[in-house]
Amino acid sequence: MKDFAGYTARLVKKAGKLFAGRFCRDRVPLPVVFGRFRRVLENHNRAIEIITDMGEKLGGDYLFDITYLRRAYTELRENINDSIESFGLLTQGKYSGLKAIFGRIDREINRLLFDEVPASREMVLFFEDITWDRGSETGGKNANLAVLKNELKLSVPDGFSLTTSAFTEFIRHNGIDAKIAALGQDGDITEEELMDIRSAILRGEMPPALNKEIGEAIKKLGTRCSGHCPLAVRSSAVEEDGEYSFAGQYESVLNVPLGEAAVEDAYRQVLASLFTEKSAAYHRQAGLDIKNARMAVGCLFMVDAAVSGVLYSENPGGERNTQLISATWGLGKSIVEGQTDADSYLIRKGGQPVITQKKTGRKNSMVVNGERSGIDIVSTPSNMAGKSSLTDEQALDLAALGARIEAYFRTPQDIEWALDREGRFSLLQTRPLRVAEQTLRSGRAKELKQYVPVLLEAKGLVVQPGAAAGKVFLLRHMDDLDHFPRGAVLVAHHDSSNFVRVMPFVSAIITDVGTPTSHMASVCREFRIPALVNAGDASSILRHGQEVTLLADDEGNAIVYEGIVDTLIDHVRSGSAKMDELYEFRKKRYVLRFISPLNLIDPLLDNFVPEGCKTMHDILRFIHEKSVAGLIEGARDGGQASSAVKLELPIPAGIMVADIGGGIREQYEGRSVSFEDIVSIPFRAILKGMMHPGAWHADTVSLGAQDFFSSMMRMPDIVSDSSDYLRYNVAVISHDYVNLNLRFGYHYNMMDCFCSDNARNNHIYFRFAGGATDILKRSRRLELIARILREFGFTIKIKGDLIIARLSNISREEMEKILDQTGRLIAFARQLDAVLHDEASVERYARKFMGGEYIL
Amino acid sequence: MDRYRVMIIDDEKIVGDMAKMSLEREGYLVETFLNGEPALARLKEERFDVVVTDLKMKGVDGMEVLRTVKELYPDTKVIMITAFANLDTAIEALRGDVHDFFPKPVKIRELKVSIERALGSR
Repeated sequence: MKDFAGYTARLVKKAGKLFAGRFCRDRVPLPVVFGRFRRVLENHNRAIEIITDMGEKLGGDYLFDITYLRRAYTELRENINDSIESFGLLTQGKYSGLKAIFGRIDREINRLLFDEVPASREMVLFFEDITWDRGSETGGKNANLAVLKNELKLSVPDGFSLTTSAFTEFIRHNGIDAKIAALGQDGDITEEELMDIRSAILRGEMPPALNKEIGEAIKKLGTRCSGHCPLAVRSSAVEEDGEYSFAGQYESVLNVPLGEAAVEDAYRQVLASLFTEKSAAYHRQAGLDIKNARMAVGCLFMVDAAVSGVLYSENPGGERNTQLISATWGLGKSIVEGQTDADSYLIRKGGQPVITQKKTGRKNSMVVNGERSGIDIVSTPSNMAGKSSLTDEQALDLAALGARIEAYFRTPQDIEWALDREGRFSLLQTRPLRVAEQTLRSGRAKELKQYVPVLLEAKGLVVQPGAAAGKVFLLRHMDDLDHFPRGAVLVAHHDSSNFVRVMPFVSAIITDVGTPTSHMASVCREFRIPALVNAGDASSILRHGQEVTLLADDEGNAIVYEGIVDTLIDHVRSGSAKMDELYEFRKKRYVLRFISPLNLIDPLLDNFVPEGCKTMHDILRFIHEKSVAGLIEGARDGGQASSAVKLELPIPAGIMVADIGGGIREQYEGRSVSFEDIVSIPFRAILKGMMHPGAWHADTVSLGAQDFFSSMMRMPDIVSDSSDYLRYNVAVISHDYVNLNLRFGYHYNMMDCFCSDNARNNHIYFRFAGGATDILKRSRRLELIARILREFGFTIKIKGDLIIARLSNISREEMEKILDQTGRLIAFARQLDAVLHDEASVERYARKFMGGEYIL
Repeated sequence: MDRYRVMIIDDEKIVGDMAKMSLEREGYLVETFLNGEPALARLKEERFDVVVTDLKMKGVDGMEVLRTVKELYPDTKVIMITAFANLDTAIEALRGDVHDFFPKPVKIRELKVSIERALGSR
């Protein structure tokens, strides 16, 4: 065992010869891999900083202009572009699709910032083909419906969209573009000018290409329906149902027979409704130029509705956490247009939604499909008028749909729905609902302190100012998020991007450690959730279930009061929220929608793929996560064990160390190094833990060389029939990195850690597998390890007898502590399964470990 | 007591809109203009206590606004904001008797403090 290093060197030479050429074409030296990883990180960091800055500057507290936005975005784009390049090299082109996704998001942003109009595309798009980024072609209303259908898999009537390209083509074909350009040339836009455009549209000829495509679309749609299948032809202007509701501005033509002539007629009517006095006034008021407006149209099957109505996923102006359903017999047109005697249901949200109020309207008249086409208003049959149109069960089902949609869009929604005669709900529209925000009245903090007990003061960093109250939900394990109650104050040791899952329900977030530039922090700003990070000992001061009020002002001061301080919470909007009323502000801020939200939350979920990226933030998150994976692979495949030296420790861990830069003190002597020679921050911390008094049980471990394995560096595979001497543990290290592969007996353990002064870069990736004892004991051990790792804030995934645990975005100090504990756990866990005789012992040993007691 | 009058000139609507909303809440009377010509015409009709103007604008630019304001009302304070901040423009602006100079994006709170100081030092 003396000549490990020399042996390894010879072995690597031999292996290198063996693998030169065809086997090892892709093998990249680890220092190169590591260099690429660092370049990805550098760009990543700068990009996150820019996103943070944009969020801040566009938060309502700054005067900014388009020049700022363009400049900031241009820098962001360059950084991400560079990051993607380095990432491509690091992962050897494994995620080549990412570049195209980046291009799509970039195009949307350019459209907003540089007024770049996408080149002419399809004139007809079926709903199943409308992806989230095609809002500029299909209009907001159609794009939102497509999300419900394609992403949430909810029931939406079948149909297609006539895009803005169709609009442009129609207008140009009929020479109407000149009339539109001339609007208001002699001062104000007049009704005469508008009427002229309307009539030109109504008698306009269909361009042959468009006519052909509509004909084909109708034919295709016809194959999806038997019998009489009329359509609803509805407006979907580009800005409609996005930031601006345009509620009730444009025409919808209902009950249109499924035929070319009828659909084209309805299409003209909807287009013409863009040029009314009402619409011109709305555009003017909103600061929009009607001359630039483009109208897409949706053609969808009419639902043969028994009942229809509207659902607000949050009751505006009413009690919070309540949904409001309005319902009536027949078609919903009357409700949308403000019929007052509809039925209404108030439903309190939460784990077990409850109907808190039910009002049955008279509903004297109802809207129904006309015999041939169009709609009729008829008297409601006497056995239906005055009778509730939905059962309680149906109302609750609908509320559940509303909750899902709200959770997806992460903002309250205004939803149109219909219930068909078979009792199935279809969704006809969803758009953001504006609800007054509960925020604070500033300047109250000092007075209040005199008579309200203060729990926490002058600690932490304010991520998002505001005031919020609720019961403390003390998060111990990530899995507990599943039980997070609506409206609670989330208190946790670490911040985590996993919190995004509960963002729609959280009233405030307080963490012991964390950074204001984390993913979580930027999402808090995005949704204006009052948040305080790095508050030290908040999670030990605040008790689970305790009622508290957080007041964080925009000068960075935060106080947590005991109890719900009503006087602090008030329906007056804060300064930044009030800015939302400004059209120009919302319009400029809209660009953030493609930049800051985070959709890729959990790397363990299926949507963690390039195609799941919808924002620049998503792309960065993806790159970061997969770079770590790339680095781990690089460490496994390209490790330069030729420079490995033996690590002499007081415990017989049998580790060989390969330094790729700054991991070992420069002046060490001989072919072995000692613990003192190790200057790699994460490796040192792990070793410290492994050597912690009592953690390593020498007496229970067989010290045979064969137990010391070998690593996952594939060396043993190369010469698997060779000597047992080859079986050693391997650590690839640098100053702030370690990739550690251990095998003790039959247990495999791999750790990959990056630990620097920048919390955002830091990660711990931990794998544990195997075990010699029977499967029951093995799974108990996994459970025990998982339980302990959860205590330290890891996110855990268990697959068979493999544990994968991850933790990222933690400060260096915090990480060193956790690595020390993880080191102890590695030592402690070696022989555990031999003693885990029953379920109770799992709990017992976990408690022992947490209490610093390592005796088995 | 009469309320102070503040004029905002910036060729981007969002700047005027946001400044107006913030300053009106502090009790100022605010008028906004998208370019220099109508702003100067309005100044000839009426005096303002503070003029906040963008430096680079098509037609009548911030420096011209400054000159005209000083001619008409030597007491009126002018605050300059610009997206293209560099030392030269800052020096030029300050030589021209500007009360304050901000690169954009400018924190609204800082602008408010500057306006308060401008009014206090008159």
